[in-house]
Amino acid sequence: MYLQAFLFAGIVCLICQVVLDNTKLTPGHITSFVTVVGALLSFLGIYDKIVSWCGAGATVLIANFGHMLYTAGITGYKEAGILGLFQNLLCQSGVAIVSVVVFSFVFTMIFKAKD
Amino acid sequence: MASIKFNNVYMKDWFTVTGPIESNSKLKKSDLQMDDYYYGEKTFEKAEVKMQKVVLEKIMERNNLKPEAVDLLIGGDLLDQIAATNYASNDIPISLLGIYSACATFPESLIIGGMFLNDKEINKVLSITSSHNLSAERQFRYPIEYGAPRPHTSTFTSTAAISTLLENAMGKIKIESATIGKTTDMDITDANNLGAVMAPAAARTLYEHLTDLKRPIDYYDLILTGDLGCIGGTIFKEYFERKYKLKIKKHLDAGCELYLKSQETYSGGSGPACLPLVLFNKIIPTNKYKKILIIGTGALHSKTFVNQKNSIPAIAHAVSLEVL
Repeated sequence: MYLQAFLFAGIVCLICQVVLDNTKLTPGHITSFVTVVGALLSFLGIYDKIVSWCGAGATVLIANFGHMLYTAGITGYKEAGILGLFQNLLCQSGVAIVSVVVFSFVFTMIFKAKD
Repeated sequence: MASIKFNNVYMKDWFTVTGPIESNSKLKKSDLQMDDYYYGEKTFEKAEVKMQKVVLEKIMERNNLKPEAVDLLIGGDLLDQIAATNYASNDIPISLLGIYSACATFPESLIIGGMFLNDKEINKVLSITSSHNLSAERQFRYPIEYGAPRPHTSTFTSTAAISTLLENAMGKIKIESATIGKTTDMDITDANNLGAVMAPAAARTLYEHLTDLKRPIDYYDLILTGDLGCIGGTIFKEYFERKYKLKIKKHLDAGCELYLKSQETYSGGSGPACLPLVLFNKIIPTNKYKKILIIGTGALHSKTFVNQKNSIPAIAHAVSLEVL
């Protein structure tokens, strides 16, 4: 399992680094692209399997954000239709988003940018 | 009117302050060094203002000049609306001409100042220019807090401020002639490869300078380009030799001559401060070159236009110097 986690996450990062070095895409482009790929793999039912093989190797990647968006959205849709989709979309990933906002705020209050 | 010859225009003195990385680079020790990027101020932008103010005050102090004795201040920087120069000159009562041609600002200030001195309208001109790595990167590329990795073709904006005192009485360096460049656009949109953007402009100005003044290329002991970087410098040489069929004898690029390899600045230094910094703290102290042609190269990079996917035009101004 550890080896699988290491290999999967490593290969994804390797692909991104190659793309970053050889194209004019910015880190922002690549992050969004990987998120979309995650959602797509989730739709095809593949991402769930990857998570069960690789554990955290798959869940720490930004692709997992796409996966969470997709699964949360689809659960909401099943429960309450289109409105449920909108209501539920950020349910699972809310933890990450809120913590990013809160911690960024806290740290900018404490530290100053340096070289 | 591309080229001008000057009579009795001299650089009398200069004063430099360098940032933390530049202080430990390939340069000779500058007049003042900064310990950190804030320089005792709250923001990077205010630090740049202070850098300019310090070099202006110090050069006047060293030459026993009061602001009233200086007729004109000419200069600019990279910040929007050349803010650093505008704010720095706030407390210094000298008439100001603010100019902008990105990293070609220094030669442009010499040309304008030289014209005034040449006509003997006035006697003393101060030129000022600066750049600050973190304020420029924030404006043109990414803020440091974003943590984006930099591509290897990118140059590193140098942190320094330089003031130069120009007079029409004999000084250390003679400003002999100059060529005002033309805007050149090669349809490049990549803000991380400014060396390639500016190289054709530098080649064009060099060729015009030589043809206007009817000089062979080996007239100059050294051709010093501003901030093409190591990659842009190679492009410049190759482009010039192929397009104009002339062989450059001795060429150095200030951007490439600034940093040590271990400082990981990739293609080298850039910014308006880069050219005068290397000229005054590296080239002149060696005493190796007598006739030097400096070509300041500016990428006229507009954030708005580049975000709307337009290309980046470039300009280059050349000034011929004679070390006395």
